[in-house]
Amino acid sequence: MDIRSRALENGRPTLSVRDLTVDFPKRSGSFRAVDGVSLDVWPGEIVGVIGESGSGKTMTALSTLRMLPKRAVVSGSIELGQRRILDLSPAEMRKLRGDRLSFIPQDAMRALNPTMRIGRQVGEPLVLHRNLSFKAAVSRAVDLLRAVHVREPERRVEDYPHGFSGGMQQRAMIAMGLALEPELIIADEPTTALDVTVQAQVLKLLKEIRDREKTSILFITHDLGVVSELCDWVYVMYRGKVVEQGSVERIFTEPREDYTKMLLASTPTLFPREAS
Amino acid sequence: MAAAAGFDFRRWRLVLLGGLLVGIVLFAAIFAPWVAPYSPFDLDVTQMLQGPSAAHWLGTDELGRDVLSRAIYAARISMQVALLAVSVGLVGGTLIGMTAAYFGGLVEQALMRAMDLLFSFPAILLAVVLMASLGTSVLNAMIAIGIVFIPGFSRLARASTQAVLRQQYIEAARSIGMSDARIIFREILPNIMAPLMVEAAVAFAYAVLLESALSFLGLGAQPPDPSWGNMLSTGRGFMAQAPWLSIVPGMAMFICVLGFNLLGDGLRDVTDPHMRE
Repeated sequence: MDIRSRALENGRPTLSVRDLTVDFPKRSGSFRAVDGVSLDVWPGEIVGVIGESGSGKTMTALSTLRMLPKRAVVSGSIELGQRRILDLSPAEMRKLRGDRLSFIPQDAMRALNPTMRIGRQVGEPLVLHRNLSFKAAVSRAVDLLRAVHVREPERRVEDYPHGFSGGMQQRAMIAMGLALEPELIIADEPTTALDVTVQAQVLKLLKEIRDREKTSILFITHDLGVVSELCDWVYVMYRGKVVEQGSVERIFTEPREDYTKMLLASTPTLFPREAS
Repeated sequence: MAAAAGFDFRRWRLVLLGGLLVGIVLFAAIFAPWVAPYSPFDLDVTQMLQGPSAAHWLGTDELGRDVLSRAIYAARISMQVALLAVSVGLVGGTLIGMTAAYFGGLVEQALMRAMDLLFSFPAILLAVVLMASLGTSVLNAMIAIGIVFIPGFSRLARASTQAVLRQQYIEAARSIGMSDARIIFREILPNIMAPLMVEAAVAFAYAVLLESALSFLGLGAQPPDPSWGNMLSTGRGFMAQAPWLSIVPGMAMFICVLGFNLLGDGLRDVTDPHMRE
C-alpha cells in the first residue's frame, strides 16, 4: 500500500489546492498560466509536479507561497493545514513563510546573499519567527548544517556563500528550509543546477528528511529521472492544466494520456534508472 | 580569492595614491591647531602681502595673516562641509532610490520625477538658490550641497537596487518570511554599498569644489573664517602683486579634489568585477 492510500484513510492533506487559476493581464485579454489546477500533498508524502517550461508548474508553487508577481490574478483555493492561504493578510502570510511552509529554490548559489555568512543565513528563519538572537541562531545553524551532512559545520557557518560548492550551497538552502520543521517544503527544481552525482546526494537527503521529520514535499521538476527516484505521487502538467496524476509506478509503467507517453518517450535512457 | 593572491599593488595603486593625498588633507584638517605655524586670524599689518619667506612659508595676505595657516584651517571647513553634505546626499539619496526601486509603481514615479526636477537645475545654481532661501552659513552650505547630491545618489541606488532585486536571494528572503524593511536594509543595502561608496568619494571632491564656489561667491564660510573659496576670492584682487594668495588655495583644492577623484576611481576599479583582469 503506498503512502497516499494509507493517508487517505486517516486525516486530511497537508496541502490542498483546488481549481487554482492564475492569469496575467495583457494589453488585450490575459494569459492564463495556470488553468484550474487541483492537487494534494499528504503528510509525509513527496509529490512531484512535472512538466515542460511554461507548463505552469512553477506558477503553481509560487501561488502556494503567495509570491507571484503583483500583476497576477489568482483564483481558486489553497489550504495548508486548516489555513486558507489566499485569504491570509500579507502579514499573516509572512509569518507562515519560512515557518510552516518553506521554499527551496532552483539555484542555491544565487539564492544565498553573497554579503552574509552562511550561519546567519541558515539561522535567519529562527531570528524572524522564533525571536532568537543571531548568536543562538548561528549555533542552531551548526546543528542544521550537520543534519544535511555539511562537514565541519562549526567552521563552515563562518564562511561566505562563495566558499561553498554548488552541492553544499543547496544543502545550506535545504538546512534553512528545515530550520523550523515546516509542514511543507516546496522545492523548485532544486537539483537542476547541480551535476549528476551531487544531484543524487541531494535527492537522497530530501528522502532522508521526509523519513526522519515526516515533512511533506512538493517537488517541481522537468526531470523524469528525478521524479522516478524521489516521488511517491506525480502530477503531470501541460499548458497550465494537470493532464494526468498517479503513483510513480503507475505513471511510469502505464501512462494513460498521450502527453505523458510523449514525455516518457522523450527521455533518452541507455539503461532504465533504478529506484534507490 | 583576493586574499589567496596576496596584495596586488597594481590593482590598489590608485587607491593608495588617492588615499595618501586625502590623508594629507585630512591630517591637516584634524590637527590644524598643531600643524599650522600661526593662528589663521592673527593680523600683522607690518607683514602685509609679503612673499614666501622663512617666517611665512607661503607668504602673508592683505591683512598680514599667514597664508599657510589659513589654508590649513580652511581644510577643516572644507572637510566638515564635504563630510556632512555627502552624508546628507548619501543617506537621503540611498533611502529614496531603494524605496523607489523596491516598491515600484506610483511610489517610484513620484520619487524619481521629483529627483528629475532637482536634477534639472545646474548644481551651482541649485546650491545658490537653496543658500539664498536658507541663509548664508556654513551649516546651510552643507545642507544645500547635500540636497544637490540627493538626485545622483538616488538614481545610482535605484539602479543598483533594481539589479539586486532580480537576484534569487531576494526571492529566498521573501520565502522565509522576511519583511520589506528587513529585506531593504539587510539584503539589498549591503549589496549596493560598493557603487555607493565609489560615488561618495567622487561626490566628496565635488562637495569641496561646490563649497569653495559658494564661499567664493560669499555664500559659504564668512570672513574672517578661512575657506579656500573666500581666500581665492580675496586673492583675485591681488593677482599681480601677490599671486600666492590665489595659488595657495588653488593648489590646496587641486590636491584635495585630485585625491578624492583618484580614490573614487581606484575604489571603482577595485570593487567592479568587470574591471578585473
